[in-house]
Amino acid sequence: MLSDITIGQYYKGDSLVHKMDARAKIIFTVLFVVMIFLCKNFLSLALVGLFVLLSMILCGVPFKVFFKSLKPIVPVVIFTAILNIFYVSGGSWEIPLFLGLKITEKGVSTAIFMAVRIVFLIIASSILTYTTVPTMLTDAIEKLLSPLKIFKIPVHTLAMMMTLALRFIPTLIEEIEKITNAQKARGADFESGKFMDRVKAVVPILIPLFVSSFRRAYELSFAMSCRCYTGGEGRTRMKQMKLHLRDGAGLLFFALGITGVVLINNYFGAVI
Amino acid sequence: MNFIEFQNVTFGYSDDSETQKIEENVIENMNLKIEKGDFVAVLGHNGCGKSTLAKLCNAIVVPQSGKVLVDGIDTADEEKLYDIRRKVGMVFQNPDNQIVATIVEDDVAFGPENLGIDPKEIRVRVDEALKSVGMYDFRNFEPHKLSGGQKQRVAIAGIIAMKPQCIVFDEPTAMLDPRGRKEVMKTAKMLNEEYGITVIFITHYMDEAVKANRVIVMDEGRIILDGTPKEVFVNVDTLKKAQLDVPEATELTHLLIKDGINLNKDILDIDELFDAIVSIMEAKN
Amino acid sequence: MSNIILSTKNLNYLYSKGTSSQIHAIRDINVQIEKGELVGIIGHTGSGKSTLIQHFNGLLKGTSGVVELEGKDIWADKSKIRNVRFRVGVCFQYPEYQLFEETVYKDIAFGPKNMKLSDEEIDRRVRESLRFVGLDESYMEKSPFDLSGGEKRRVAIAGVMAMKPEVLILDEPSAGLDPKGRETILQMIMAYRKTTGSTVLVVSHSMEDISKISSKVLVMNESHLAYYDTVDGVFSHAESLKNMGLNIPQLTELFLKLKEKGYDVSTDIYTMEKAKDELLVLLKGGDKNAQ
Repeated sequence: MLSDITIGQYYKGDSLVHKMDARAKIIFTVLFVVMIFLCKNFLSLALVGLFVLLSMILCGVPFKVFFKSLKPIVPVVIFTAILNIFYVSGGSWEIPLFLGLKITEKGVSTAIFMAVRIVFLIIASSILTYTTVPTMLTDAIEKLLSPLKIFKIPVHTLAMMMTLALRFIPTLIEEIEKITNAQKARGADFESGKFMDRVKAVVPILIPLFVSSFRRAYELSFAMSCRCYTGGEGRTRMKQMKLHLRDGAGLLFFALGITGVVLINNYFGAVI
Repeated sequence: MNFIEFQNVTFGYSDDSETQKIEENVIENMNLKIEKGDFVAVLGHNGCGKSTLAKLCNAIVVPQSGKVLVDGIDTADEEKLYDIRRKVGMVFQNPDNQIVATIVEDDVAFGPENLGIDPKEIRVRVDEALKSVGMYDFRNFEPHKLSGGQKQRVAIAGIIAMKPQCIVFDEPTAMLDPRGRKEVMKTAKMLNEEYGITVIFITHYMDEAVKANRVIVMDEGRIILDGTPKEVFVNVDTLKKAQLDVPEATELTHLLIKDGINLNKDILDIDELFDAIVSIMEAKN
Repeated sequence: MSNIILSTKNLNYLYSKGTSSQIHAIRDINVQIEKGELVGIIGHTGSGKSTLIQHFNGLLKGTSGVVELEGKDIWADKSKIRNVRFRVGVCFQYPEYQLFEETVYKDIAFGPKNMKLSDEEIDRRVRESLRFVGLDESYMEKSPFDLSGGEKRRVAIAGVMAMKPEVLILDEPSAGLDPKGRETILQMIMAYRKTTGSTVLVVSHSMEDISKISSKVLVMNESHLAYYDTVDGVFSHAESLKNMGLNIPQLTELFLKLKEKGYDVSTDIYTMEKAKDELLVLLKGGDKNAQ
């Protein structure tokens, strides 16, 4: 059933990473990305690999879950790699191929680098979404962005919009399913015909969906106002975000990693 | 003591709003007093003005003439708007459209958070509220995985956590299956009896209205009957004219009385009728 | 055999098959629905009744088993499944949420248009369906979104009736309506069946409504078909219905209690008249042991 879907990819667990503060985890993810892009040679890449592996183990999410999320991007990775092999040239050796194409040392290493980086990036961001409930994420983003309030950016409103979107996506998916069934029962045909016919076929789903979404929004605004919602001003939160020792440890972990990467880069020189 | 008071209230929707339609049934010169701690059912067919009555109770709309007083506060006083909404919570028909968070306990916390209550106190209130409606075990669930009745109970918990003195239920059972209806009714009764919360329960189901202390029947923006369930439901003809049902036990009793059986005409449910029949049979032996 | 319009053989359906959240929604359903019956379908939420009706018009395909329409497997030719949907019209719960056209006329015409009927035939059907649901022709050019809740509901039902299905299935057609709205829908369904002679299946939570309108009752319980029998037949099992967590008609409940108390009454009472007569016999009958 469609209603079985969970939004985001939260993977229930009780690991160290799960317990970390969501704000810290967002920052760590950014640091992870920095670390991945700082790598200049295979040794530093290997170091990052070690960090990725360690994080994967620490977050307690089975490896096969990660592989599942990597599966859809395999074609992208292969495509980028192939593109890099032929596009980048240079280095100490080269193998000429047909039509003037050639494989060079630099081409191969860039290709490997790019592929591995993409995989690492996916894993790093997956760790964040696997271990953090979507609401905690939006709360954390709200907190992290709150300095922007001085530029009159409605940070709270944006975060509330995100929360409501997360809340209503499953409801709307269910609704689409219901409307689709109702129109199918009246002989609507979504599966055959030319492109334009198919586009037109969606109208009987979209209009009722819009109508009902507006009705929901209208009722929801009443309900929220009845529960004394007046915006972010003067609101408290039940779930307080607190930084713990583990979050500090996390910071240390990444500081070490980044330092290591920079040192290795300098010492052994860059490959790409 | 009166908790809510309507003084010569008249209300009509204007035609310049987005609905573009003038509601035919408005509230007309209504006078009504609702006592603290009472359980009042409001009955009427669709469009009789009962939903508007609900909206008048917590200042979603304010009367064009006359006054609505909530615990002595005039609902037209905009500065007191959130005082009123704190005192009078509201549960709506569609459970989906009043839940704002992706996790049950976060939703229950929404109201108290808006009131700026201390986080520790919110935690206590949320747990208490969820326990009182029997949804504590579901506190970490996602709302869309709950049944209609369960969602409605979460919505009720969200109101209880604000510690209101009164809850207005605006047709909370209309979209539920029989099981969900029973859950919601039971919860409303419990809140009234154990927490002393004043309940205004709007419905078109007779079997729910029968359980109230006081029943108000509305038709075309006016109150046509007002009294205890027994006093109200004996008016079979008036109710039918207002396009409403009569409890089956009451209807059967009327038929039996017509055929010369000696029964009280204010029998409301099957259990009472059963007792009456048994006592006649036992008297016969 | 020719009297059977819709039947299932060992029909099973699994949601999320092969995953940990697999649900066996309906199990080994064998039922034969006769032409022209008005079948009331009851069962509490999650009993499988919604899943079952989605098999009747091929919105779902059984994991195993067969659905036959007039003796022919509806999935015999997969490309013809749309024709099955024209012959078995399903109107889902809260059908007013499917309305999308600018006018009532166009919305009702959506089904017939998909059937590729001629304009005259479509016109005839739209007008006829409007009559069935008790709305006059002044509604044709109105926007469906300007109507009252009850009227929208009726327009949506008319949209299914306009396909002239041999079997009309209505999933809780009166849900959420007030007593008068409910009564109107029930009258409409009975009149439709009488005029067209078609087979009608109605899902409802109201035992009172079911007992008023149905000729047969189908009971679903925990994915199984519990009963398919006449109204009398099904409600005579009042006690086992109660065990399934189903409401039984209030009147029937009264007689169950009287019987339990030791009075000599029958318990297959589900209408006001029958209840009155039975009670009069009991109360005026004097000696309990009299024949």
